[in-house]
Amino acid sequence: MSRRESVGTVAAMDVAALESEALSAIASAPTLGALDDARVRYLGRKSELKQALRGVRDRESGLALNTARERIESAVAEREHELRSAALQDALSAEALDVTVSLPGDEVHLGTLHPTTLTRRVVEDAFLGLGYEVIEDREVETTYYNFDQLAFPPAHPTRSPRDTFFLDEERVLRTETSPSQIHVMEAKPPPIYMVSLGRVYRRDEITPTRFPIFHQFEGLAVDRHLTLADLKGTLLHVMRALYGEERQVRFRTHFFPFTEPSIEPDVSCPICELAGCRTCKFTGWIEMGGAGMVDPQVFENVGIDPTEWSGFAFGCGIERAAQLRHGIPEIRPFWENDLRVLRQF
Amino acid sequence: MKVPLSWLRDYVPLDMPVEQLADRLAVSTAVVAAIDRRGVPDVDGNLDLFRVGRVVEAGKHPNADRLQLCHVDVGESEPYQIVCGAWNFGTGATVAVALPGATLPGGLTLERRKLRGEISEGMILSERELELGPDHTGILVLDRGEPGTPLSDLLPLQEIVLDLEITGNRPDLLSVYGVAREVAVGFRLELSPPPGRDPEPAGSERVDVAVEDLDGCPRYVGRLFRDVRIGPSPLWLRARLTAAGMRPISNVVDVTNYVMLDLGNPLHAFDFDALGGERIVVRRARPGEELRTLDGAVRQLDSCDLMIADAERSVALAGIMGGEETEVTESTTNVLLEAANFEPSGLWRTSERLRLRTEGSNRWEKGVDPYLAETAAVLGTELIVDLTGARWVGHTDVKGDLPRRPVVSYRPEYASTSMGLEVDPVEQYDILARLGLEREDGMQTVPTWRARDLTREVDLVEEVARFKLEDVPFTLPVRREMTGRLSHEQRLRRRIEDTLAALGLSEVCTPSLAREDADPEALRLPEPISVELAVLRTSLLPNLIETARRNLEVGNERIALFEIARVYLPRGADLPDERVRVAGVTEGGFARVKAVVEALQRTLKAPARYERGAHALLHPGKTAVIEAGILGELHPTVLEGQWGGFELDLVALADAAEEPVQYADVITYPAVRQDLAFVVPLDVSAGALAEVAREAAGPELRELQTFDVYRGAPIRADRKSIAFRVEFQSPERTLSDEDAARLRQRIVDALAERFDAELRG
Ligand SMILES: [Zn+2]
Repeated sequence: MSRRESVGTVAAMDVAALESEALSAIASAPTLGALDDARVRYLGRKSELKQALRGVRDRESGLALNTARERIESAVAEREHELRSAALQDALSAEALDVTVSLPGDEVHLGTLHPTTLTRRVVEDAFLGLGYEVIEDREVETTYYNFDQLAFPPAHPTRSPRDTFFLDEERVLRTETSPSQIHVMEAKPPPIYMVSLGRVYRRDEITPTRFPIFHQFEGLAVDRHLTLADLKGTLLHVMRALYGEERQVRFRTHFFPFTEPSIEPDVSCPICELAGCRTCKFTGWIEMGGAGMVDPQVFENVGIDPTEWSGFAFGCGIERAAQLRHGIPEIRPFWENDLRVLRQF
Repeated sequence: MKVPLSWLRDYVPLDMPVEQLADRLAVSTAVVAAIDRRGVPDVDGNLDLFRVGRVVEAGKHPNADRLQLCHVDVGESEPYQIVCGAWNFGTGATVAVALPGATLPGGLTLERRKLRGEISEGMILSERELELGPDHTGILVLDRGEPGTPLSDLLPLQEIVLDLEITGNRPDLLSVYGVAREVAVGFRLELSPPPGRDPEPAGSERVDVAVEDLDGCPRYVGRLFRDVRIGPSPLWLRARLTAAGMRPISNVVDVTNYVMLDLGNPLHAFDFDALGGERIVVRRARPGEELRTLDGAVRQLDSCDLMIADAERSVALAGIMGGEETEVTESTTNVLLEAANFEPSGLWRTSERLRLRTEGSNRWEKGVDPYLAETAAVLGTELIVDLTGARWVGHTDVKGDLPRRPVVSYRPEYASTSMGLEVDPVEQYDILARLGLEREDGMQTVPTWRARDLTREVDLVEEVARFKLEDVPFTLPVRREMTGRLSHEQRLRRRIEDTLAALGLSEVCTPSLAREDADPEALRLPEPISVELAVLRTSLLPNLIETARRNLEVGNERIALFEIARVYLPRGADLPDERVRVAGVTEGGFARVKAVVEALQRTLKAPARYERGAHALLHPGKTAVIEAGILGELHPTVLEGQWGGFELDLVALADAAEEPVQYADVITYPAVRQDLAFVVPLDVSAGALAEVAREAAGPELRELQTFDVYRGAPIRADRKSIAFRVEFQSPERTLSDEDAARLRQRIVDALAERFDAELRG
């Protein structure tokens, strides 16, 4: 380094040259280390610039020197950012993975819910949205609640031990969720809006498409001025919740001891859209359960005045609904519980 | 109920496509299980290839002893040569012929071909080949028809049969005429009057019928026929019975079946000469009595069973099945026709006890109109006289007080309101009138055939509603209150399901009934359908273990299962105590299952106290009980490998759950962390130490976690070391070193006093 006697006079010349030399050295620094060397050389305590600043006497020279220092400093910062970004970019490129691959040991093992539960929740949520209470009820019933209070005539086939599991003369495994209608109506005055879900039992032989135990959901509404149209609208809502907004629902006359009129809802076949296929037995429609307006006799049995109150009830199989939702052709997988099947859900 | 459309047309003019008929009936009346197209396939020009033929020459086939070689005039310029295997006809016979190219019922298409060296141009048909009857012993010999006439002019070559599933409340629909009435209402068609007209009686013999039990048999019409010639029925009758799914037998028996199908009233024919004392007595069975029924079985009778007897013994199970000894046979010449009415419930009990159901019992047990007996007797008489050449010589009609026709008040505006659809009263009255109701002022008189199921206004509303179902709109109830929500338990159940699934357990659904149960008192089905489904379970674990085993056998990996379901704890003769349980089985031992249960407790905010427990399916040294249930490592003899299992009561879990969770300030003042290790006797559990420590330190002990259990030097052999990490924290102030020391001392003192625990230096 050379000493200068009169900084004031040489500064103007030197500063411009110095700045341009510094800026080009900084811009071409290939690494962070080289950049640091350049920074020390042009901005360090012993740099020409710092020495000139220390020796400055007049305001004009000071201003010129400081402006140069600021420009060099910001060039260093900029170059440092550039070099760091490039280094990060290189590091990230080096870490690149085949994102389509998952290797053993990396996965999180999740269990699954049974399709019956998945469908049960859809039903529960549909009814909660309509302002219904969700209940569960006992499965071992008295014949009084399972048959008598539901106005089953004495010769109804369901009363036969050929159709129903009897524990003894007075106790049966409930054949439908309907006894819970009676329990609720006995327990509280109308209005009532409830849906009951749970297992029911029928004496069916075990086949790929039948099992003597299955799940049902059963709804009951009791209020003033409920109509058949309200029942149709309610079932339409539930069927669409289960099978999609585009589903059509039709109703057919049927007979149940505890409803009058009794109807059966059919949902348009989601597989063939009414064209007819194996799932819908070539009718375009799939039977979804039973429904009807509560028979006045049932109201009288539980002490509700049928001239003041009306109601409707309906029941559907949950496995059957799950079969249709998920395209499960048989009942067997529901009870086999093979993880290869369950893990699909 | 199988309803051939050609038969239905006897009563209503049908011109709509069958699909439309089926759709309408399905909505208003009964499930249409099938539309069965029988007979000659309806493909282009096929029907024209079925002709009447006349055999102009018939003789033995030159190369086959069992075959005939025939020349048959089928209305073409030259006779056709046809080889035939039947011998029940000869030259001059009028026969049914299918020409080459014809497709037979069943799909076989005929070709001109050589049979044993002789050309055969088509086929001479039997009734079975045309699906008109079961007979294939010989070909069908016609009694009329000119050669070349289309066969379809003479015979019902094509038939469409509706298979309807009739509900138990509508025995009137177990008849073609009853279905015709529904069609007439649905399509507003004219319904013909019921069939049958009495012929002139050919005598006035006494028919001796005594009904001892008018409750069980409110009506008994007996008619006597002499000079009956038993033989096959004519083809039209055989074809109708066949299409309706019944097997033709002989003319008299076929008539009884035909009338049953046509009108819904089962009939029975007795060989009059086989009736002791030429007498019918309707009575209950005598003690020890037995009867050999038509199916050959000997039935042990009960004093509740209603019997048809003669002067000496029972000859038929009333309404269910006749007896073998009085059966109409080929040699019968005198017939007593029974057109009776039987009360449903007694008959149902008998058929139930004997496990014997017939077309007849199926109708009686639903309640047949007693007024129908006479109509059925008339039609039966007309047909027997027509078809057998018999003389009708006697009649009796024994009856009790037949039920009156119900008179029901009916308000069309009430019907509209309860349907949620405004229906013009004129249309409502029209529907009811077509169904046979008679209106006077505001009252409707119900026809006899609906007297059992139409007794109230609401029943009549249904009659109108079922024909208007498609017009009823879709609405939702107008409500003043809406209060649907899941209960605490229901919400927790969902959280448990989701948590267990997130922990890797898959939900299963196993039967409530098991082969055996650990509880000897568990409720047992007296008549299970299989030994596997016999006892109502008192625990979910056995089925879960079984399910894990099956998954293991098929090679599945990472087996972890759970189920939420009921168990049925016996309470003597009362209904069982049904508890909802959550149970699981998972790969991995005690540590794994405890981690799962603890995760459940954390998600529910339901802390629990663990104690040593015991369970037959669990490892005796690796079983814990908590208030809600049990968990542990599966006993090594139960399932190969290391497994954990748990079974918890859902209500107990829900009761223990803190909801809503209460906030604690864990931020403002810092926590003081310390590790404490205690040397204790071997039988002291970490759980017991923790519990006493918590009690001693009070709420300022915020966390206490076991992190090490150690046995070995330098600790005495009869002792072990248990190390805890503790956190002291107060929501109100910063704890000083002195505070922490004081809390720690309380723990040390309490553990020393209770467990002889020494703090390790
Ligand atoms: Zn379909």
